[in-house]
Amino acid sequence: MPRRRAFRFPRRSAAQVAADVEEELRFHLEMVAAELVEAGWPQEEARVEARRRFGDLDGTREYCCALDERKESRMKWMGRMEELGQDLRFAGRQLWKSPGFTLVAALTLALGIGATTAIFSVVYSSVLRPLPFREPERLVLGGFVSPKGEVQKAFSAPNFLDWKAASRKLSGVTSIENGTLNLSGDGAEPERLQGAWVGADFFKVMGIRPLAGRAFAPGEDKAGASRVAVISEKLWRGRFGGDPGAVGRSITLNGNPYTVVGILKKGEQLPSAADVWVPKVFSANEMQSRGAVFFGAIGRLAPGATLAQARAESEVIGRRLSAQYPDANASYFKSMTVIPLADQILGDTRKPLLILLGAVGVVLLIACVNVANLLLVRAAVREGEIVIRTALGAGRGRIVRQLLTESLVLALAGGAAGVALAVWIVKGLIALGPKGIPRLEQAQVDGTALLFALGISLLTGVLFGLAPALQTSRTDLGGAIREGTRGSKGRAGTRARGALVILETALAVVLLAGAGLLIRSFSRLQSVSPGFQPENAVTFKLQLPEGRYSTEDKLRGFTGALMERMRQLPGVEEAGATTTSGMPFGGSVDVLTFSVAGRPPAPVDKEEAIRIAISTPGAFKALGLRVVRGRAFTPQDRAGAPQVAVINEAAARKHFPGENPLGHRIDLGWTVDGVHRGGEIVGVVADFKQDALEAEIEPELFLPYDQAPLESLSVVLRTRPGTRSLDSTIRAQVRALDPDLPVYGLQPLGELVAGSTSQSRFYMLLLGGFAAIALLLAAVGTYGVIAYAVRQRTQEIGIRMALGASRDRVMGMVVRQGLTLALLGAGVGLLLAFLVTRAMRSLLYEVSVSDPMTYLGVAGLLLAVAAVAAYLPARRAARTEPQLALRGEV
Amino acid sequence: MPKTSLDLMQGTVAVLILKALSWGPMHGYDVSRSIRQRSEGELGLEDAALYQALHRLEKKGWIEAEWGLSENNRRAKFYRLTDDGRQALQAELSTWKRYVSAVSKVLETA
Repeated sequence: MPRRRAFRFPRRSAAQVAADVEEELRFHLEMVAAELVEAGWPQEEARVEARRRFGDLDGTREYCCALDERKESRMKWMGRMEELGQDLRFAGRQLWKSPGFTLVAALTLALGIGATTAIFSVVYSSVLRPLPFREPERLVLGGFVSPKGEVQKAFSAPNFLDWKAASRKLSGVTSIENGTLNLSGDGAEPERLQGAWVGADFFKVMGIRPLAGRAFAPGEDKAGASRVAVISEKLWRGRFGGDPGAVGRSITLNGNPYTVVGILKKGEQLPSAADVWVPKVFSANEMQSRGAVFFGAIGRLAPGATLAQARAESEVIGRRLSAQYPDANASYFKSMTVIPLADQILGDTRKPLLILLGAVGVVLLIACVNVANLLLVRAAVREGEIVIRTALGAGRGRIVRQLLTESLVLALAGGAAGVALAVWIVKGLIALGPKGIPRLEQAQVDGTALLFALGISLLTGVLFGLAPALQTSRTDLGGAIREGTRGSKGRAGTRARGALVILETALAVVLLAGAGLLIRSFSRLQSVSPGFQPENAVTFKLQLPEGRYSTEDKLRGFTGALMERMRQLPGVEEAGATTTSGMPFGGSVDVLTFSVAGRPPAPVDKEEAIRIAISTPGAFKALGLRVVRGRAFTPQDRAGAPQVAVINEAAARKHFPGENPLGHRIDLGWTVDGVHRGGEIVGVVADFKQDALEAEIEPELFLPYDQAPLESLSVVLRTRPGTRSLDSTIRAQVRALDPDLPVYGLQPLGELVAGSTSQSRFYMLLLGGFAAIALLLAAVGTYGVIAYAVRQRTQEIGIRMALGASRDRVMGMVVRQGLTLALLGAGVGLLLAFLVTRAMRSLLYEVSVSDPMTYLGVAGLLLAVAAVAAYLPARRAARTEPQLALRGEV
Repeated sequence: MPKTSLDLMQGTVAVLILKALSWGPMHGYDVSRSIRQRSEGELGLEDAALYQALHRLEKKGWIEAEWGLSENNRRAKFYRLTDDGRQALQAELSTWKRYVSAVSKVLETA
């Protein structure tokens, strides 16, 4: 080991190196020349001879300069590393020497960095990561602009094909229809799968290549093509056990044999979370009905085309289609548009998740402020050390660098602990996360998240370390020595700490206000009555395959038998069935145009539309719906009997204002064998929430099942309280009727309702959690500052008490100091919150973003917490013994 | 094989310089003069090679340099042996002695 030098000379520049080499060589040449002159050579010849004897002078000069420069740069680098090593060792020793400070600071940072990294992982996985398609930003979703200006994203086959043929700005246009399929056969339990009917060019337009096998070939969506399917990796690994020979196997979907041609990689199921894809073959009927809208259309921008161009082109095409087919189109839309596919998939998720990321960032900022506060207190304690080091010749830059190294070591330690915490939090978020956040289950603390954690660790290290380091290093030697150990910058330090407490209090108030608004909104939502009785009811779904239930009689037969069996089950009070769209919170809607007999027909573009549901006689009672007028359906409303209908109160209000709706006859824009479906209104049923608790109740019309049977069924069973789980009995009963028919969506009706608020609950809990952490950190900050101030003012307090100040008075003084900080913080915070919470408007239900109750509550909570945080040190101050304090012995 | 002889030459120059500096710090001109004197003029070390070797050894850390005043009061760069350099000299000397004796054994065999 070379000796370590205590002092180091400043490193030489390239010019200095060259000058040194030059001087060394000149010295040598002059010495040789002098020697020659002594031996009798003439002056001039001696110089020439010296040059000659030297040999290659220029080469040597160059060689030496190059060597020396390399050496210099290496020394410089080694010097830096050595300094860094010193700083690191010193930082480690300093942190080790005060374990209390180090632990509190590192844990605070771990909490902040961990929570931020976890939320970042989720946001990155769900929203920021590119969608799993080729150039996803060039994919668009087609939509129709209704006469009212709303965008409807559903197509009919003729409109779709016309659009596809006319578009030049889109290089590919494909269709996707979401639905469910029954998978049966191979001896296993029949299964209900999320499926998608897509155009043969779907995977080509999306830019997805299957993991194994192939995508659909052109023409496989034409009538008469052989039946093929692509399955998801999940289904392949699950049902098919990852069988490498799965491609080419035959499976039974909806009772028909299909050949598996490809397997799609996990995570590529978007835009619909499907498990099986089959080509969509438009039936002759569908090719004819321009008004039958039932699927979505996705296009890819042509090379060189922009979104704006495609949008303008669609508008033109849309106007033309509307004018060309006024009967079918004019009431439905006036023009067309395209929207980015990413907006459709991520649109509802992006905003709340980004708000959460912002909120957790604020928590991290508060954590930084708290650590900066701790550092400022430490700075006062370490003033003596800094003075000594300055006196020994350490420059200000050197001291700042040393203090910053300490902060960075602290931040990195906190960051490492934070990453461990983040892994744990992400797992929890995935487990608790509601449905409907795309790609949430793929969130993990991966390379990107680690890089993010490292970045924010370094950033926080500088953020909380720089100001204290600058202040600490600004030591006035003379002043410090004169004031002795008391510290020369007590006042400035106190002011800085006060400002930091105000800042973190303000930030905490912003989070509290945001969380408060969400909590208020959620409790409003919870208090909304759904209008039906979700308790003591079970629901499940069935989809009768068209192949085996080809006639209305077969449908009626099955459903009638099923209802009979369900009513016989032990504990079941009533059983009913309705179409999926008639099921509250069922997630689908059927809307039809209608006319009222005896009223003048409305012009084509002003036709009224109404939600439609088909219900069995027991459905209203099973759901717990009250009939407010007339009657419910009875078994006598069978096929062939006079056609009847029931409407809800909303429909009565809207379409029969001020008159009795009973007795009116309604004809729907739905004809079977030339006969309009519809009927005479025989009853009005009480309103209930159809889609979500926060949604408006829409006018709805019910038809009796036997008079308009359909294949999709949602069954509801009302049970006596305390009835044990009927799940296996239900499955057995359905199997007895049809062994190939899967039961799906089997769950208590209450869960369906709870599920609809699960996203609101998720965001509320997370933001509430962040706000709680922020409040805690702000309280700790306030406590720290007041406690420190009390310790510094011990002598002053002693004098006041010696002069007759009462203990109450002293306590009041200290608590007032804490409350002043809190009040300032709350004021600033409320102002900030007022501005920031505007971004949350769309997340709130019946709560204004400037809800005064919330703001008052937040301010009250904060002041209460601050009062407690200040009370503890105040009590200590009041216990001061004047004599001891005056002698400086406390 | 010119490369081998050059390596040998470089090595020889290095060991000569290290040996010279083992008597005390000196500047380049002194090193050259002392080698010439000790070899009684037999070893004429080229100045260019000497200075290149000095800088090479300095970079290696075997010698270190400091500016000082020469006997005639001029600024001169003085080199001194480091601990590493002293160890290297011992190693080089024993290698050299073994080499010489091996070569002598061969050459002196009748």
